[in-house]
Amino acid sequence: MRRAALATGAVVVLGLPWAVPRYFVFLASLIVVNSIVAIGLNLLSGYTNQLSFGHAGFLAIGAYTGALLTIHAPALPVPAALLVAGLVTAAVGLALGIPCLRLEGLYLAMATLAFGFVVVEAILNLDWITRGNDGLRVPAARLGPIALATDTARYYLTVAVAALLILAALNIARTRTGRALLAVRESEIAAQASGVHLAAYKTLAFVLSAFYTGVAGGLFALVVGFLSPDSFDVFLSVDFVAMIIVGGLGSVPGSVLGAAVITTLNDSLAGFQNYRPLIFGAILIASMLFMPGGIASALRKLSVAGAAGYPGTAPPAAKPRQGDDP
Amino acid sequence: MTTAALVHVVVSGLATGSIYALMAISLVIIYNATRTLNFAQGEILMVSTFVGWTAMQVLRAPLVVVLIVAVAAAAGLGWALERLVIRHAISATHFDVLIITLGLSLMLRSAAGLVWTHDEFPFPSLFGNRPLAIGPVRLAPVSLGIIGASLALMLALYALFRWTRMGRAMRAVAQNQRAARLMGISVERVYSGSWVLAAVVGAVAGVLIAPVVFLSSKMGLVAINGFTAAVLGGFGSMPGAVVGGMLLGVLENLAPLYLPSSIKHSVPFLVMITILLVRPSGLLGRVARRKV
Repeated sequence: MRRAALATGAVVVLGLPWAVPRYFVFLASLIVVNSIVAIGLNLLSGYTNQLSFGHAGFLAIGAYTGALLTIHAPALPVPAALLVAGLVTAAVGLALGIPCLRLEGLYLAMATLAFGFVVVEAILNLDWITRGNDGLRVPAARLGPIALATDTARYYLTVAVAALLILAALNIARTRTGRALLAVRESEIAAQASGVHLAAYKTLAFVLSAFYTGVAGGLFALVVGFLSPDSFDVFLSVDFVAMIIVGGLGSVPGSVLGAAVITTLNDSLAGFQNYRPLIFGAILIASMLFMPGGIASALRKLSVAGAAGYPGTAPPAAKPRQGDDP
Repeated sequence: MTTAALVHVVVSGLATGSIYALMAISLVIIYNATRTLNFAQGEILMVSTFVGWTAMQVLRAPLVVVLIVAVAAAAGLGWALERLVIRHAISATHFDVLIITLGLSLMLRSAAGLVWTHDEFPFPSLFGNRPLAIGPVRLAPVSLGIIGASLALMLALYALFRWTRMGRAMRAVAQNQRAARLMGISVERVYSGSWVLAAVVGAVAGVLIAPVVFLSSKMGLVAINGFTAAVLGGFGSMPGAVVGGMLLGVLENLAPLYLPSSIKHSVPFLVMITILLVRPSGLLGRVARRKV
């Protein structure tokens, strides 16, 4: 049953470029890229119960790193460029995570919010390398002899990278590190008492999250082909948060679903820019009030098959309520 | 750099700092009562300032009336948001409430854009614009007015927290919610009261800052510096919010003099990271201890 569903899914995903118009292939690539960011963000919020409002900043770092590598080192194969984009972003995440994640509560949310603004500011000021507001055109990347010049080629690239990253995210709970992260999620105090270094593991979750987003940024640069600082404003960070809220906190399939829903919605509301935040705000509030686990948990409640979920989808234990000390 | 110029920069820094301090105070008021962060604080400020401005356009009302209208609008908005939305999430986690206020902030900003457009509008100042000369130092009356009015509001808040029944109830809830409830304090009323009070402080800040930054749907972003100010002073501490706000304002104005001028917009972030590294509890904050 599960296998059949997976096989059908794989056929749909792989066959898509041959069945739909070009624009939808581009949109699907964007959904896949956003799914990677959402999974990354969910690694953070799912395991540490913290939120980042600066993931657009990480995406920008990954995107500009990837783009600059493609421009200045055209011989570098794409996977290496993406890896470097991820690693650079992860390093920035480490630098940001160390001061913020020693503390509990809302510090990370606030610091990442400010971080997002600083990244945009930095892109504007480093215009000798990023071309500032003029924007940066990204040439087609090369994978050995093949130039990834078509939407279809780029789509397959994003799908391949996403598949790897999804597998890694699903299996992280089986590693020693993953078990420590799960312990942190269930009870920080109990985890700490069992010898889990709380700050280190939270920072690790944040760094992993930044890595995912950096790789997604590299892909974003290739898929969109043009980077400018205003594509990475705070509202993009809010979109990423909306993806995991709508999809389901702490759930990998939820991240993908949320990314699909929000990206499609964004695209269909392109003609109604003024109403977009109104609708997104309403969606966020409604999800929180009426569907706290997101689509993922709503589906799980509906289907019995949900009982066969992989480790890491169980709803977290009791959390501090409004009014309690965080 | 002459001393006179330096004084000028510091005074205008204190003026922006006063606004950050008011934003920080309004965030702390809600945080102390409900332990959640209100992401919509800046948008409440923006909407209530716009409502005041509309009163001015429609009724040709003097600025004092504008202030009163803005404060009344803020009180109504704060009350309504808490009562109609946040109260429904009373059993939700901090995380959930944070997301809800984020949703509110998006909706308010978007709605303001639909009603008043996303343009920038000039806003008259409560204070004149003839510079005040004290010896060689020339000071803008707007700066002095903002500082004076903010300090007056802070004193009023101090009095309210110190001597009124509601203020005492708020302090009690901030210290220990369960004990406060056992003493017969209606915690729900404190929640409402905190939202109203925070919104009112925000509205005053909005009317004060609008002449300087222009009235626009973006002006709510000042709340981000309010967060930083509150962290700098020690999140949860009122005097900390004031000190943090003033200090942040001055630093932001001084930094471009000694460092590349593009640093200005990054100052809040750099200050926040530094304080989290060096003294995470903030300048005046207490070290948080948690019971297991």
